[in-house]
Order: sequence, then C-alpha cells, then structure tokens
Amino acid sequence: MSKIKVIPCSGIGKVFGLLARESVLMVTSEKCPNDTETLCLAHVVTGDDEVVGKIKGETCITMDGCAKYCAKKSVEETGGIVVKSHKVPDFMKAHRGEEHGSGTALTDDGWKYAEELAEILVEDVKEIKAEVN
Amino acid sequence: MLGNKIGVISCSGEECLGGTISRLAVRKMMEELKPGMVSTLCLPLFIAGDGGEREFAEKYPTIAVDGCSKCCAKRAIEKYSNAVAGSVDVAEIIGAAKALEKPLSTRNLTDEHMEYVKQTADKTCQIFDEIIAKK
Ligand code: SF4
Ligand code: SF4
Repeated sequence: MSKIKVIPCSGIGKVFGLLARESVLMVTSEKCPNDTETLCLAHVVTGDDEVVGKIKGETCITMDGCAKYCAKKSVEETGGIVVKSHKVPDFMKAHRGEEHGSGTALTDDGWKYAEELAEILVEDVKEIKAEVN
Repeated sequence: MLGNKIGVISCSGEECLGGTISRLAVRKMMEELKPGMVSTLCLPLFIAGDGGEREFAEKYPTIAVDGCSKCCAKRAIEKYSNAVAGSVDVAEIIGAAKALEKPLSTRNLTDEHMEYVKQTADKTCQIFDEIIAKK
C-alpha cells in the first residue's frame, strides 16, 4: 500500500493549529516515516491536478485544530478517504489548566500534549496497517 | 474597509521548509512587527468555513505569504475570495531548493531559519506599509 497521508489543518491563530501540525510532523518525520507522509493542506485546497493525483482514493488521517474540521473537509472534498479524523480539543480533558503555548511556539506542557497526540496517530497507523495485512 | 487592518495569510505549507517560514513570518507580523494591525485567517477556512470567511479579502486588503512558487495561498484567496493586494514567495527570498527542503518542527529552528523568517516578515512589512500609504 502507498504511504498513509497524515494531514494536519493549517490553524495559525491559536495554539491548537500548532499542536496539530507538530504532532503530525512527529509521526511523518520521526515515528513512522516509512509508513506515512504529509501534504500541504493549502495545496490540497487548490485542487491542482498534481495534488488530487496524490490524494484521490488514498487512505488519510486528519488532525484538526477545531470543530471547523478544515483538514477533514478539504481532504474529503479532494477525494481522499479519511479513515480516522481527530481534533486537538478532543483530548484536552486530562490537560485542563495547562498552558500549551501559542500559534508560534509550544511550552513544555504543549510538547507533552503534542507527543500524546502523535501517539494517538501512531496507533491509528498501526490499526490501518493491521487491517490491510 | 475595516479600520486600518491588513489581512496577512500564509500558506503554512506542511510539506516543506518554505511553509514553516511563511507561517512564522505571519506570526512575527502579528506579535512583533504590526501588533493589532494584522488580521489573519486559517487558509483552508476559505473553502471549509460556513461563515463569512470567503468575504475576507473583500473586507481587508490581503497579502498572501507563500512557502514556494506554487503560491497556494495567493491562488486559493483569489479563487475563493478576492484579488490579493500583494504577495510574498519565500522561495524568492531563500532560494527554491532551500524552500523545498523538509518541513521543520519549531523545536529544530536555528538562527539561520530565524533569519529567513525575519527576511520574509520584513518583505511582507514593506508591502504592508505600501498598502497603508495608499489608503
Ligand atoms: S480546523 Fe480550525 S484551527 Fe484548523 S484551520 Fe480550520 S479553523 Fe483553523
Ligand atoms: S505554496 Fe508551496 S509550501 Fe505553501 S502550501 Fe503550496 S506547495 Fe506547500
């Protein structure tokens, strides 16, 4: 199977977008580089043939920064098959009261949370691969 | 137009270094260079949003800051909202090969990367000031 596409939203105003971005980067660059890759969401949004060719019919996981679900919606609109979709605030319960940083930089607690989100994505990748094999 | 605010929107590309620089340059504008004068929006909201997001570039003169010569932010804004008032391509500032290097975690930023962010933000500020002067 081709690499699973793991795509964060491009949230820039608040820390949630950066948490989504950093957690996905951990997965595609460090934790599962052989099984996953990411794509520029803004490129997906353009609907260019080049990017549609990369995503159409492909297995995708999305991590959004809020309930607008921009990554999920944009990937689906472009023909990607979103098999797992998350949003950063879904996992906040255990982190209430923590300060995670801003859209520019994460705090130590922010990095811990990003790491936790990355592990959730890693579990998704394992699950998807197990179903295929 | 709404006050003296200018829209500045980055592609925030997740696939390459240029996208990381574009994003950080816009954050630098918001926090340090033009605090209170920049209005921004998550780029994909133009198509995924269900509110008035598509009117953004009609409300504000908007500068697109793109990570590479594909200029996704500029094209998406123009497709879904309005013509941009200016645009910056990080690849023209740091070179195409550099811009297309692997994306970077903010954990791994070096002084060299921060210099790229500064140059991109400075170029964006120059366009920003030109727009304000014309208003
Ligand atoms: S999902 Fe929310 S944070 Fe992410 S790009 Fe959309 S509006 Fe921004
Ligand atoms: S302009 Fe380049 S870096 Fe930015 S989203 Fe498009 S392809 Fe990615």
